[in-house]
Amino acid sequence: MNNLLSRNKYFNYFNIAISLSAVMAFAIISFAPLFFAIERLQMVTGQSVISSISTFADRPANMDALSFTIIEASVSALATVLIGLPIAWHLARGQWKHVRLVRALLAVPFVTPAIVAAMGFLALISKGGILWNFGIDLRLETGFIGALSDTFGWQHPGHFIALILAHAWFNLSLVIRFVEPPLATFDPRWEEQLSVLPGGNTRLNRLRNLWIPFIGPAVACAGMMAFLFSFTSFALVKWLTPFSQTMESSMANMGGAAGIEGYRLDASVVILSTSVIQFIILMLTLILITILQRRNNSRVSMISENIARHNRGKISKSGMLIISLGIIFTLAPMLSIFLSSFKIRSAIGNGQFTERYSFDAWMAAWQGDLSYVAASEAMANSLIYAIVTLMIALPLGWILSSTIHSLEKSNKMKLAKIVDVMSMLPLAISAVMVGLGILLGILRYNSNLFGFFLLPVLPHVMLTTPFVVRIMTPAMRAIDPVFEHQARLLNLNPVMCWWHGRLSFLRGPAVVAASLTLAFSLGEFGASWILVRSGSWDTLSILVDQLMSRPKFDPMVQPVAMATASMLMILTFILFFIAERFRPSGDGGGI
Amino acid sequence: MNTKLTMPIIFLLMILTSSMAGCLSDFGGVEATYSPNSGSCDGAPVGHFDDGVLRILTYDINAISDEMITQFTNQSGYQVEIIRTEDAGGILEQMLQTKNAQQADLMLGLDNTYLQTAIDNCLLQYQNVSVSNISDNALSHHDGNFATPFDQGYVCINYDENYVDGENVTVPTSLWNLTEPQWNGKIAFPSPVTSSPGRSFMISTIDYFENDEDNTTDAFDWWSQMKQNGAILTSGWTEAYETHYTGGYGEWTDGHIGDAAMTISYCHSPGVEAYYSSNWTHSTSLMLPLTSFHQVEYAGIINGAANVDAANQFIEYLLSPEINTQMPEANLMYSVLDNTDLPETSGYRHHSDIPTQPCSISNQRISQEMDSWLAQWIVEVEF
Repeated sequence: MNNLLSRNKYFNYFNIAISLSAVMAFAIISFAPLFFAIERLQMVTGQSVISSISTFADRPANMDALSFTIIEASVSALATVLIGLPIAWHLARGQWKHVRLVRALLAVPFVTPAIVAAMGFLALISKGGILWNFGIDLRLETGFIGALSDTFGWQHPGHFIALILAHAWFNLSLVIRFVEPPLATFDPRWEEQLSVLPGGNTRLNRLRNLWIPFIGPAVACAGMMAFLFSFTSFALVKWLTPFSQTMESSMANMGGAAGIEGYRLDASVVILSTSVIQFIILMLTLILITILQRRNNSRVSMISENIARHNRGKISKSGMLIISLGIIFTLAPMLSIFLSSFKIRSAIGNGQFTERYSFDAWMAAWQGDLSYVAASEAMANSLIYAIVTLMIALPLGWILSSTIHSLEKSNKMKLAKIVDVMSMLPLAISAVMVGLGILLGILRYNSNLFGFFLLPVLPHVMLTTPFVVRIMTPAMRAIDPVFEHQARLLNLNPVMCWWHGRLSFLRGPAVVAASLTLAFSLGEFGASWILVRSGSWDTLSILVDQLMSRPKFDPMVQPVAMATASMLMILTFILFFIAERFRPSGDGGGI
Repeated sequence: MNTKLTMPIIFLLMILTSSMAGCLSDFGGVEATYSPNSGSCDGAPVGHFDDGVLRILTYDINAISDEMITQFTNQSGYQVEIIRTEDAGGILEQMLQTKNAQQADLMLGLDNTYLQTAIDNCLLQYQNVSVSNISDNALSHHDGNFATPFDQGYVCINYDENYVDGENVTVPTSLWNLTEPQWNGKIAFPSPVTSSPGRSFMISTIDYFENDEDNTTDAFDWWSQMKQNGAILTSGWTEAYETHYTGGYGEWTDGHIGDAAMTISYCHSPGVEAYYSSNWTHSTSLMLPLTSFHQVEYAGIINGAANVDAANQFIEYLLSPEINTQMPEANLMYSVLDNTDLPETSGYRHHSDIPTQPCSISNQRISQEMDSWLAQWIVEVEF
């Protein structure tokens, strides 16, 4: 018995040491680059962080970027909720044959690389695209979109609508992930009972007294998350709204020239002030999300999802229509990319052109025929970065979650909250800010790191670890401590106790976290766009952007870019669908 | 502690402690310095070892094909690694960022609007290349040993003939014509802050207005008028030419908007259009005196290069007739060698104009005044 106690004691010390190391490591990799970047920008500009806030408004372009960012992020969040809520509602409230497949399809946009989404929407809205063929011209802004502009004096409404739709598409699964699980497991008897009471005898009363208190915080939470991701959107803004800049895209455009003494001081001033203002706004958003998430944990009567679905019966026709439209909305941009990758224009003389369909672009992309890194090579780079990111972010996130959970169990709630908030903080530092932080903060101090092949892994770890923590922490909280206790009673050693009492229950969420980590790393664009330019290790995301940015006198360039985007899309989906097979039914996954 | 307070406190700590980071000094190496007395630069420390690989820092350039690299490797025995930035400005910025530990051996693509800044900052070192048949025109901006020209072209205004003919608009005879209503919202300019052709054109406008008959206005007055006349400003050439310009290939690409009948490109861009479209184009260049800029792109060995021998060999290879005469097809630019021209194939040469009176501002003046010009431009156009 003494031996067992002593073993447990050493195991606890070991746990504490691991937890402390993980917290410190995460704090250092997250904050050190930014710390050094701020210092460098202060040195170059001669401004402090505080004074940079006051100079932000001096440049009109900064204020334009700020107002555009706030407007587009707010409207995007609203549109995400308006489109996502009916889908989540009908998905949850009925019996579906292939509910997991439908759910996985609707979740696909969230893991789609941003550059792929940008190319998809560009192909969708451009002349000859699917929407254009339906008479909706969001790019050239003719027809009723042009009339909208003429009538209201609204500059480029088509581009704005395209961006909002793209953001709603991207964030759709947030609403589904937040709202569908509680709705799907909600006991229908509550609704039946309420409908005979005065407070629930009309739809409006039920909405006020049941649905708003029940799913309102979850909807608000999803909306705030959509706001956060739309606020820091870069690839979509870069390609869909050529006349407007967000704070993120404005920082990306000027980032390369910042932090260099005696060169383009204006760039350093813009980067310093914009990053500080953006950080403050994102931090306030995160605080709101944290508060909403806490309210979201309301206790209601829940039953098995299968029983609830069975009780509600088959999905209504209107429900079927809404879900079908949702799936079409999800698939349309991806289909557009795919089609564009086979379409090659050919001149037939006298200004006449024709379009032929072939696999030539796929062959050229794979072999790298256009003086670029071959897609095969970029794919290898992307996979290496994704796997190394996974090898670091998953254990790191797991240990951070475990630390939060252990602190909560030992009733050290304040400390638990600090670690929890710290683990979320990189979400308040957008991808471009992370990339710039590393570029200015680390590389300028030690230029030798410019040649370090694994450099892009650092921002990927920073950006994916918060998601691992968000998935693993609720899963750990949900484990009944009885299992671990019973394993101890069986006199199993600490490792076996952990194995049987915890790991076996966390395998599902861990696979989900791993799949998201891989998907996010594969598709990461903002930080890589800043950093990969300093090396020769183009990833698929960067290669797509490089090809699309290149002059396209040669008719092969665009199809090759689209073929490369298709390859990235297929790779991401394969990984995602493999992981979806492991997701327990009804598991919201914490995100 | 309340959660609401945690993040602000962390942020405040970051801000407060960041001032302490000033105690830290660079630990990467020693920067090369310019010695005004001798006019030379000290040697910079290398940022990587000579591992038999030639590292080329360039932008998204077309000039270097896989076949070309393979041929160079077979001839010289050196492997080649390409480090790509977004544009010519990116090359300069990366060299400045890594000044104390350069990661590449050879830069390829700085043009004459950036070259002098690189030389003044000791980013390039003397070359030891043996090339004799470079044209005087290509050497006119820099004939020293810091850089060797490898391609050239003239940046100038391109316009859509369909717009001029279709709308019965008179072809402009002065830049002031572009401030008139028929060109309102019809011209796309790549920004001189972020684009190399944009920068070249801005320099041309300075020369143009310094040499016109009106001494009361300058280039920045014109830019201000252009802003009033709805000029479309883009961050790069691709966006201006492909997304906005109606006269080019853009209409065949996803994302085309087509709201500009005039843009800034190369005087031979109509030739390139014709080359890829079976000798047909409705784009042409506007040949106004001093509004075009002779752009020369250079290859230079980076101060701090580990593999100087390979870099010298690559420059000689790039300037060999076999490779350099391919520039019009491979990189859509003119060769810099004597007695070469654009190919006649599919109207490439026929549709390409060569300006007789390009901008004549020197590299030295560009380097000295660029920051102030850009600052003025930003004030006139962004504010």
